[in-house]
Amino acid sequence: MYRYDQIDQTLVNERVTQFRDQTRRFLAGELTEDEFRPLRLRNGLYIQRFAPMLRVSIPYGLLSTGQLRMLAHIARSYDRGYGHFTTRQNIQYNWPQLERVPDILADLASVEMHAIQTSGNCIRNITSDHLAGVAPDEIADPRPYCEIIRQWAALHPEFSYLPRKFKIAVTASPADRAAVEIHDVGVRIKRVSPHAEIGFEILAGGGLGRTPILGKVIRPYLPQADLLAYLEAILRVYNRHGRRDNIHKARIKILLRTLGAQEFTRQVEHEFEANREFAPRLEAHEVERMRGFFAPPPYQRFEDGAPDCGSVGSGKPAYDAWLRYNTRRHKIPGYRVVFVSLKKHGEAPGDMSAEQMEALAQLADRVSFGMVRATHDQNLVLADVPQSALPEVWRQLDALGLATANIGTLTDMICCPGLDFCSLANAGSIDVAKQIHARFDDLDYLYDLGPIEIKMSGCMNACGHHHIGHIGILGVDKHGKEWYQITIGGSSTGPAALGEVIGPSVPKDQVGETIARLLEVYLRERQGEDERFVDAVRRIGIEPFQERVYETNHSLA
Amino acid sequence: MRRIIRWHELVTDDARYAGEEAGIETRPVQPAAEFIAAPAGQTAGSGAAILIGPGDELEPLAPHLALLSLIVVDFPKIGEGRGFSQARMLRQRYRYAGELRARGALKRDQLFFLARCGFDSFDLDPTEDLQAALAALNDFSVAYQDGSDAVVKVQRRAGSA
Repeated sequence: MYRYDQIDQTLVNERVTQFRDQTRRFLAGELTEDEFRPLRLRNGLYIQRFAPMLRVSIPYGLLSTGQLRMLAHIARSYDRGYGHFTTRQNIQYNWPQLERVPDILADLASVEMHAIQTSGNCIRNITSDHLAGVAPDEIADPRPYCEIIRQWAALHPEFSYLPRKFKIAVTASPADRAAVEIHDVGVRIKRVSPHAEIGFEILAGGGLGRTPILGKVIRPYLPQADLLAYLEAILRVYNRHGRRDNIHKARIKILLRTLGAQEFTRQVEHEFEANREFAPRLEAHEVERMRGFFAPPPYQRFEDGAPDCGSVGSGKPAYDAWLRYNTRRHKIPGYRVVFVSLKKHGEAPGDMSAEQMEALAQLADRVSFGMVRATHDQNLVLADVPQSALPEVWRQLDALGLATANIGTLTDMICCPGLDFCSLANAGSIDVAKQIHARFDDLDYLYDLGPIEIKMSGCMNACGHHHIGHIGILGVDKHGKEWYQITIGGSSTGPAALGEVIGPSVPKDQVGETIARLLEVYLRERQGEDERFVDAVRRIGIEPFQERVYETNHSLA
Repeated sequence: MRRIIRWHELVTDDARYAGEEAGIETRPVQPAAEFIAAPAGQTAGSGAAILIGPGDELEPLAPHLALLSLIVVDFPKIGEGRGFSQARMLRQRYRYAGELRARGALKRDQLFFLARCGFDSFDLDPTEDLQAALAALNDFSVAYQDGSDAVVKVQRRAGSA
């Protein structure tokens, strides 16, 4: 992974000092709330319903075990003993005290971490494929480019006061596990032929929120050296011409839609050409240097065939299910990718206790080269586990409550913090997740349903990415009551798609029943076991689902 | 008298904006549009000072830049960010070498970014403590990006050009 040098360390240390002074001035009344807000937000600090929330950056989701232990320490020392992993591969703490946030940042800086630009109208954490470097299908490891973009974006003097937040994602795989189409800018690593130089396809104007739009390709091929220059051109056009008079129309997607993709692209290309002389050039040796940080770990080579995934005694069916659902193929024979499920029944999706973090750190030190990854589906990953260690890993994770064999199934839900914590939310998410868990607790039924993604947001800001869920659930407020609008047919991965609303929203206690009816239609209509829920929706349209959900003799109508 | 930061010092501001009373040794700052529209010969001539707003285009100013000794970029609201781009473009693409001032709803917290974009004088929010603001120019001793300023020397890493 990337390791800080003197420059990086100095920068985060100085940022801690600066933020400490900003906090002091606010508490002393030298800064008004209006003045402090943009300063604290760009450091990940929200004022929530009950307490501040601090969002800590995990660049492209990659964590060392030392860093994970620090996250546990922070959870225990400054919060209530847990943290919440987010859809941007970051972690949030829901209960820190404002006065102590500078100390948290100092602790983070001691392990090469920070909260810089995790919120606010600036360039946010760069996200990527959680299987980067181990996926058999990737063209190149995206992480060196993510780190290059991260550094370029950090405290960028020109782009620190944008019209609105700005999210960049990088993928190097046709399966696009980074959902680049729903980002303000998406970067697809590309080679025109197998041995050609690396370049990029650039997308712009994607985003969810109240106006969900998929990004458009504005540059089919960009040479590697021009990556940062092109990003500067996009950001400059956006910074100058994005709307600042209406927060709901301020994202780049609205600018792109208003100008039209062609005119927007023309302006970006014009800026790119006019600024060539001054824009940063990404030199090949800098990419090489960065690549060195992400060199593969010292894998064991199995000359005479790799050992298999082992076996366990009495827990065999559970182990087999876990192997099938919670592990994935690794590009090196003899290794598997292990998903650590943060979607156990009874727990808020994405939540993890300090004890779990510490135990996982210990396990990762032993079996996965001391590294852990956060996914944008709010799970964690041990990316490099030797197959022979799998029985032990399963036993350990099972004991920690982290082995629920539900990755990719219905109960592997994405869920925002909702009304329980967030001051923006219209409705709760966590207890709806619990309702769904309770209703669909039969694993065999889940397995029969196959891969299905439920994504849930407590308001139209769409932190839970509901538009791109196979089933999307959006909390809305109706006369002070929590109701839920359901969409189906969305997808986050290649190609992305936005779901369609099936009809009037349903009351909270009917969300589980509604989903049960959707699944009933799916099981009735599906053609063969390989047709996923979302494929069936695409094939037969939403009408059969609507009919069943809103049958007249039912209380939902 | 209004105090500003200029070239790393606190000085008394000599700029006079529309609606302000003329004083001894003050110089008028004309809105950019007015300056451009004025017929040749009626402008203040060499050494003129102008004020540009966040939405103003820079291209029409290009032929006149050599005449200007001061460009004031207005930041009317907290969070306004267009002036950062205007400054960088004036310094780089348009090669403006005169004084470039940021004025408006700005605190010491934005100074570092402003200076890196090429501003060299600062007319901050009247409540700001200017001594503290001077120190804030040195909030960071390192940066990842090239800047137009002298505040931060970009420390290139070994192996980089």
